[in-house]
Amino acid sequence: MTTPSDPEKQPPSSALTPLPPFRPDLYQRAWLSIPHPTLPLLATAHATSVTIFSLANLTQHSTLTGGHARSVRSVAWQPTTTTIDNNNNNNNTLRLVTGSFDATAGVWSYRDKTHSPSALEQDVTGGDSDDSDEWEFNLVLEGHDNEIKSCAFNPAGNLLATCSRDKSIWIWEDVGGDGDDGGDWETVVVLQEHDADVKAIAWCPDVRGRNEVKGVFSVEVLASASYDDTVRIWREEDGEGEWACVAVLEGGGGTGGRFPRLVTASADGGVRIWEREEAEEEEDVGAAGSNPWGAIPGTVRREMREEWTCKAVLPRVHTRDVYSVAWSGKSGIVATTGSDGVMALYREEGNGWKLVDKVEEAHGPYEVNHVTWCKRWDAGTEMKGEEEMLVTTGDDGVVRPWQVRIA
Amino acid sequence: MDNANPTILNVSQLPSRAQKRAPRAGPDSKYDAIVLSHPAWADDLSDSDEFGGDESEDYVSENSLDEQEIYDLISTVMDPEHPHTLGELNVVRLPDIHVTPPRPGSPRGLATVLVELTPTINHCSLATIIGLAVRVRLERVLPPNYRVDVRIKDGSHAQDGEVSKQLSDKERVAAALENNTLAGMIDNMLKTCTV
Repeated sequence: MTTPSDPEKQPPSSALTPLPPFRPDLYQRAWLSIPHPTLPLLATAHATSVTIFSLANLTQHSTLTGGHARSVRSVAWQPTTTTIDNNNNNNNTLRLVTGSFDATAGVWSYRDKTHSPSALEQDVTGGDSDDSDEWEFNLVLEGHDNEIKSCAFNPAGNLLATCSRDKSIWIWEDVGGDGDDGGDWETVVVLQEHDADVKAIAWCPDVRGRNEVKGVFSVEVLASASYDDTVRIWREEDGEGEWACVAVLEGGGGTGGRFPRLVTASADGGVRIWEREEAEEEEDVGAAGSNPWGAIPGTVRREMREEWTCKAVLPRVHTRDVYSVAWSGKSGIVATTGSDGVMALYREEGNGWKLVDKVEEAHGPYEVNHVTWCKRWDAGTEMKGEEEMLVTTGDDGVVRPWQVRIA
Repeated sequence: MDNANPTILNVSQLPSRAQKRAPRAGPDSKYDAIVLSHPAWADDLSDSDEFGGDESEDYVSENSLDEQEIYDLISTVMDPEHPHTLGELNVVRLPDIHVTPPRPGSPRGLATVLVELTPTINHCSLATIIGLAVRVRLERVLPPNYRVDVRIKDGSHAQDGEVSKQLSDKERVAAALENNTLAGMIDNMLKTCTV
């Protein structure tokens, strides 16, 4: 089974080719790297800092330091970048949120001094801007009792979700305010139905079908994965501002998704695809007992429940915890990394999922904490801003891009 | 104090290979080969062409540690409340250490070390910190291709499953080590480890 000639394990042509890593090495554990939704920038969290890399030349662009007392575990780019102020000036402001083990989330902004609409992009693609001084630590979002493990913006960029070991998820709304500071933030809701640490959260990307249940929910869908071995799906009742858990998925882990489907990765080494069932007449689910809702306080109204079922389990590749999973909305390819240092690619074929390629020791002997899909902007691609690559982040402090070629 | 009267093993009864070894060449040089060596994987990490190619069997064979060597590394960790080591208290036991050496076929190979701890009493409130200290101890001295799993032995503790789950959660371990109180306790427990 493990012989090199086994076609299952060793695809004839390798789909993954390592590209030269981002420079410089960080020389310490790096937790994750998040690409900007539109600009050629990548933010990597390591220790109490964040290093921003330019995707144009694969080197350091700037750094964010001094905002947190403990490790930055997660970062999120706010999707909107350009605002017009009262004087009709373009404020090309980059805004990044950091979620830290010090229980706070920081809001940072990077101001483009030239105020020219296109200067920011030229600047970052040129890649030789000054170091950290353009980043300002604007404000602190306080509320969690202990470590923030993940943070994420919804596609529109007005809602930020943070989750913590304190078992809660907070949703914060950017209600505008002066672009000179980090804006004004209000707490929308605190969701406290998980029984243990909330380890990962993901908003549904802006895709069609996100709002199939008309008149019941507003457009946003949030998924959370917990140490309590469940994944919960949260939606806002349309127009009410009331958030509710609409589904509980048992046996989850880290999450990523393409609604109405969701992929989860778990410390049991498993990677699962979940799908929302089409709405159907519900049987009487009021009775407690065998049904999992019985134990849950009545925050889920019956008509708001969604049925999510595990539709597929990806071929088992990892021998230890799976730390990260990334699902490309463009190619449909799923990538995973984990404690065993393996990176694996999977593709849906027919009714199942097949292993496309796998690389052992993707970061040498170190664990690979994170994998993400990312657009290529470097000189090595002929389709800047279109071709997708993978970026892995490891305990070795190396951030490594990978070319993906699938026949 | 949880257990005021723990059973103490005589040091001479503890399994050890240390005495059978040749005298040390200098202070704390026993693991210099591991700690200070330029590992083979570092040579070609930066060379992307060789990624996953070059097999460095020397590294594996030179650095394969056995259960006794793991025991020697962690049996000297001090208990947080008794003036004895985890070896003397029989919290760390040689038969409960399991080493899986690197798989021969893989490029450089991952090795795993599983340590099952037996707390002195089954409701020991310090089981988590003991497990954390053992994990930290091994992660500091073992080469990076070693994966360390520390668990509380089944049935030896009222919350063995819960404590084991905490000890295997990378984020929780990382966050705990940023807690100055916990980190200070662990440093104290590791003071007696001479390597």
